[in-house]
Amino acid sequence: MIEATGLTKRYGRTLAVDELSFQVRPGRVTGFLGPNGAGKSTTMRLILGLDAPTGGRVTVNGRSYQELPAPLWEVGALLDARAVHGGRTAHDHLLWLARSNRIPRRRVGEVLELVGLAPVAARRIRGFSLGMAQRLGIAATLLGDPGVLIFDEPVNGLDTEGIRWIRDLLRSLAAEGRTVLVSSHLMSEMELTADQLLVIGQGRLLADTTMQDLIERDSQATTLVRAPHWERLRELLEGRGARMQPDRQGRWRVLGPDAAAIGRLAADHRIALEELTPRRSSLEEVYVRMTDTRVEYRAGSPASDRPTAMTSNIGG
Amino acid sequence: MPVKIEQRGAGFVQALAAEWTKLRTVRSALWGPAAMAASVLGIAVFVGATRSLQPDDTVLGGSLTGATFGLLVGASVGVLVISRDYAAGTIGATLMACPRRGVVLAAKAAVTAAVLFAVALATCFLAYQVGTVMLPDGYAPGAPMPALLGVALCFSVTGLLGLAGGTVLRHPAGAITTMVAVLLLPSMLGPLLGGWERWVAGASPVAALQKLSQSSDAAPDAVGSLAAWPSLWLVCGYALVALAGAVLVFRRRDV
Repeated sequence: MIEATGLTKRYGRTLAVDELSFQVRPGRVTGFLGPNGAGKSTTMRLILGLDAPTGGRVTVNGRSYQELPAPLWEVGALLDARAVHGGRTAHDHLLWLARSNRIPRRRVGEVLELVGLAPVAARRIRGFSLGMAQRLGIAATLLGDPGVLIFDEPVNGLDTEGIRWIRDLLRSLAAEGRTVLVSSHLMSEMELTADQLLVIGQGRLLADTTMQDLIERDSQATTLVRAPHWERLRELLEGRGARMQPDRQGRWRVLGPDAAAIGRLAADHRIALEELTPRRSSLEEVYVRMTDTRVEYRAGSPASDRPTAMTSNIGG
Repeated sequence: MPVKIEQRGAGFVQALAAEWTKLRTVRSALWGPAAMAASVLGIAVFVGATRSLQPDDTVLGGSLTGATFGLLVGASVGVLVISRDYAAGTIGATLMACPRRGVVLAAKAAVTAAVLFAVALATCFLAYQVGTVMLPDGYAPGAPMPALLGVALCFSVTGLLGLAGGTVLRHPAGAITTMVAVLLLPSMLGPLLGGWERWVAGASPVAALQKLSQSSDAAPDAVGSLAAWPSLWLVCGYALVALAGAVLVFRRRDV
């Protein structure tokens, strides 16, 4: 269990984390979602006592991190898989960590086996691929068999097989009753992994909800329409207050009247339809819409300057 | 895992075990002490072979001519004990494993001091043997005991100064450069300071080392008339103050 109340962190004039209050509960995967620069990593560093909060408080299992008598037995955290000394072997890296919390030496071999690095245990980390480094970082989090696990962007730079492996691992850790907090800027990844979502933008909490609630409450019903005489239909739809955007396949996305209403309207005016597809916006679109106004740094390319999520081609 | 809760812990002993493991598992960490030993012994052999000794010098002082350079390497060893963590990024993992930062720094200090003491004592003892065998008769031998213990302690303390500097400055290259300057500038700029020279240069670890090794370099007008051991205690004193300052900075700062 991780609990933050009014957690605030200011770096000079920048407010990185702004009055965050949330609880991360055991038994499920909690996705910590937000665009780059939203304050996810800073929040994790505050949880782990690496940075001191400007205001508020955050506890792990009811205590601040500094008060944990043997932290690695309670919390495993992976912030940056590359933050290892390249000159050490995988085994030695885990050995010094084990020593630091009086974790039995045999545990080093066990976690190396668990993440599939046993064959390269005696090799220097310098030669590891990013995927291997990620696995080593995950092995380190599991050393003390902790009840709370924290991962910052664990799938970054991994191939499909590695991503699937991490996804299954996170789900099984949560199924064992552990508290699992995973950050990502990729909604599509969270959609497959997380049960609970914390969404932040510019350091503020935008949503603390289950995945299902988020889709149902915040997604918009749209209809994809293709018609040979589109202009006539368009005038009729505009008369009923619909909003429309073209997509790349020559269809139009209609927001407002549902598919049945559009179908009736077309039939009444004898307009032929080639396609009429109801669809809900994907979680990705919900997320983009939610964080759009909150994104601090935006790329200058026209593609990222879309006015609303409606015009996004993701999933279209 | 079948380990009782009361057997778990992340105190000083565990931090010490972790820091020792970190030091012995990185090959580059062995180079520092090795370079320190090689420079002290190499220069002792050179001095012995060329008989480059002042008439009023002692065998001990002549044999330990290279100790001044060795001291610079020793300071770098101390710097790297912490700046290696900053450079690799393992400082985060270190503090997640042991969030009590004073304990982490105390463990690093203990490892630094112990390693430097052991290596310096063995090396300087060997260097004295080299001098005894190679230098011609006629020079005063000097009193190796307990002076060699003091010399080894001087290496430990200089390493702790390096550790304090590395903690505050974090970047290996910058911290090593600073430490070399701190150790060498007092004696280099000393003559410009007039009457202050014996106070400024005399307070440096290099001065304590030269006095302990009974070298003819340790002239009172250059390094002050404070005796060898009190000079060493003075260095110990401000090294501990520097370390205490480093603890304060280390505890307050975000990683």
